[in-house]
Amino acid sequence: MASIALQNLVKTFGTYTAVSGINLDIRDGEFLIMVGPSGCGKTTTLNMISGLETPTSGKIVIGDTVVNDLEPGERGLGMVFQDLALFPHMTVFENIAFGLRVRKLPAAEIMRRVTAAAQAMHIAPLLGKLPRQCSGGESQRVALARTIVTNPAVFLMDEPLSSLDAKLRVDMRTELKRLHGQLKATFIYVTHDQAEAMTMADRIVVMSKGRIEQLGTPLEIYNRPATRFVAGFFGMPTMNFLEGVVEAGAGSSLFRGRGIEQPLPASRSGNLNGGAVSLGVRSEHVLIDGAAQTPGTARLLEPLGDATLVHFDAAEGMSLVAKVPPDTALTPGAPLKFRFAPDHCHLFDAESGQRCA
Amino acid sequence: MSTDAGPAAEAARARKARRERTERFTRHAILLAWTAFIAFPIFWMISTSFKDAGEWVAWPPHWLPHEPTLHNYAQIFAFGALDPTLSRQATEQAFTIWKGLGDATIVCTTASLLALLLGTFLAYAISRFNVGGKYFRHTILMIRMIPPIVVAISILIYYAIIIPYLTTALFGVRVSLFDTYVGLILIYAVTTLPFVIWMMLTFIDEVPYTLEHAARLMGAGRLQVIRRVVLPLVASGMVVTFLFVFILNWAEFLLALTLTHPEVTTLTVLLNKFQSAAEGRLYGPQAAIGTVVTIPVVVLGLLIQKHLVKGFSFGTIRK
Repeated sequence: MASIALQNLVKTFGTYTAVSGINLDIRDGEFLIMVGPSGCGKTTTLNMISGLETPTSGKIVIGDTVVNDLEPGERGLGMVFQDLALFPHMTVFENIAFGLRVRKLPAAEIMRRVTAAAQAMHIAPLLGKLPRQCSGGESQRVALARTIVTNPAVFLMDEPLSSLDAKLRVDMRTELKRLHGQLKATFIYVTHDQAEAMTMADRIVVMSKGRIEQLGTPLEIYNRPATRFVAGFFGMPTMNFLEGVVEAGAGSSLFRGRGIEQPLPASRSGNLNGGAVSLGVRSEHVLIDGAAQTPGTARLLEPLGDATLVHFDAAEGMSLVAKVPPDTALTPGAPLKFRFAPDHCHLFDAESGQRCA
Repeated sequence: MSTDAGPAAEAARARKARRERTERFTRHAILLAWTAFIAFPIFWMISTSFKDAGEWVAWPPHWLPHEPTLHNYAQIFAFGALDPTLSRQATEQAFTIWKGLGDATIVCTTASLLALLLGTFLAYAISRFNVGGKYFRHTILMIRMIPPIVVAISILIYYAIIIPYLTTALFGVRVSLFDTYVGLILIYAVTTLPFVIWMMLTFIDEVPYTLEHAARLMGAGRLQVIRRVVLPLVASGMVVTFLFVFILNWAEFLLALTLTHPEVTTLTVLLNKFQSAAEGRLYGPQAAIGTVVTIPVVVLGLLIQKHLVKGFSFGTIRK
C-alpha cells in the first residue's frame, strides 16, 4: 500500500509560513502533480513527505504508518531532484548502486539490479562513465535509474525536467508517463510548469501561498477552476478577467462592467444579483464573428500555426485576447466586434476569488 | 583598416611595440631585483652550509666557500658520539639533526592530522547546521589573529603549574603537559584548528545539499553520507589543508620554545641551540640544518600548488 495522507500539515520557517495546514489524500498508484508559482509551498510539502523537512505540526501517513518520525531512508521513497544530485565522484554504475550498497545487498544482486535498471532506462552503455561525461538527457535517465533500482512504492520528483531544453523535456514527459504505467507506483511530482501538469497528471493539486487552491483532474481544473487564481494560472494565454456586477433579470441575467454587457445563463448567475464579481473567459471563448456586437480594435496578432491570438483593446482601455482560426483577415489597427461564449464564462467573487456557482 | 594610412599606422605600431618592450623590460627588471632580494638569504644559507668555521664570518664575505666542505652536514647527520675527525674545538657539543627531525615530524604530523580531523567535522557542522550562528565562521578566524605570545605564557602556567597541581591534588598523580609530545601536539592542533575550519568550510560549502539529501533518501545515515559522499568530494581540499597546516606547525618557534625543554626539541628550537661557548653561533651546522629542513617545506609547497588548483576548482564539478 502506498497511499499517502497529509493531515493538517503545517511548516513555518521562523515567522514565515511556507505550508499552512493542508489536507490531501494521495491514492495508491496515482500520478499526482503539485503545481503553483515559486514560494507556494509545493517543494516544502514534498520535502516533508520525503522526510528532509520536519513538519511544524500535522501528520504524514504513508500506507498505514505515520512517518513523521521516520528517517528519509526508512520511508520507502525514491526521489529525483531538480539538479538531479548525481554523485560527481562516482561512476554511473556506482550512482545507481548506491542505494543497494547502503542496504548491503550481495554484489551479484547489485550487479543484476543495476544492469536491469540501466537497461530499463536505456543507459547501459553509460555505466562506466562519470556523471559529468553524460549529457542532460542521459543524466536525467541516470537519476531515474538510480531511483527505480530500489523499487520504491512512491516516487517524489522535484521539478526534474526544469534543466532540460524544450524538446527533451517533452520527450521525458512521455518517458515518465510510460514509466508510471510500467511501475504502477505512486508518483508525486512538483512543477511550476502547467503544461507538464496538464499532460502527465492523473490529478493536479494547485497550490498558492501555502494552501491548496484546487484538487482535481486536469480537465476539471481547466474547465471548472475553483478560484480566480487557478483560472489565471492554467491556460495559455492567461484567461481574460473583467470586473463588474451581475444584474439578475427574469429568466436570464446580465454581467455589466467596463463597458461590456454580457448575458449569462441563469444557471451561472444564481442569486448573485448586485454582487461584485470577476468575469473570466478564456481566449478561445472570445468570439470574433458575425453575431458579435461589442466593438474593439486589434492591436497585435500572434500566429501560432493552428490558431492566431488577437490582442485587442476594448472600451475603457481594457486589453483582451482572443484565439481565432489561423485564416483571420484581421490586421493590427483594424476595428473588430467581439462577444463571449455565454456557457464558458466563469464568475468569481470579486473579494474572495472563489468561484460563484 | 585602409592601406592608405600605411606609414602613419606603421609608426603607431612601432611606437606601441617600443612602449610594450619598455614595459616588459621594466617589469622583469623589478621582478628580478625582488627575486634576488628574497632569494639572497636562502643562497647565503646554502653557501654557508658548505663553509668551514673560518669562513662563516670572513670579511670581505666569501660569496661562495673558498674551501667547500661537507663537514657541517657530516656533523648534523652524525650518529652517536662525534667522530674525532669531525670534532673540533668549536663544536665540542655534538648537535645532530635526528632528535629535532624526529620530534618535529611526530609533533607536526600528529597535530596536523588531529586538527584536520576535528576541523573537518566542525566545518561540516557549521556549514550544514549553522552551528554558532551567522558570524561564527568569522569569529573563528579572528581567534587565530591573536598573536601566540599573548597566550604562550598563560599556556605555560597551565602546563607547568596549574595542571600538575590540580592532578596531584585531585587524583594523586602529577600530570604535566610541559615538555611533552602530548602538550605540544595539543597546542599545535588548537592553534591551527581555526585555519582548518576556515579552509574546510570553503570546500564543504561547495558540496551541494541535494547530494546529501539524495544519499539520505537512499537509506544512508548521517555518518555514511559524510563518509561516502562528502569526504570523497572534499578529499583534495583536505590534502591542501593538511599541507598548509603542516607547514605552519613545522615553522612554529615561539610556542615550542616556551613549552618544551629539554625533552622535546623541534627543529626550530634545535636551530636556536647552535652556539658554543668558544665560538658563539655555529653558523655552519645551523645553515646545514636550515637547508635540510627547508627541503620538505619546498616539496610540500610544490604539492600544495598542484592541489590548490584542484582543490579550488572543485566548484566546476558540480553537475
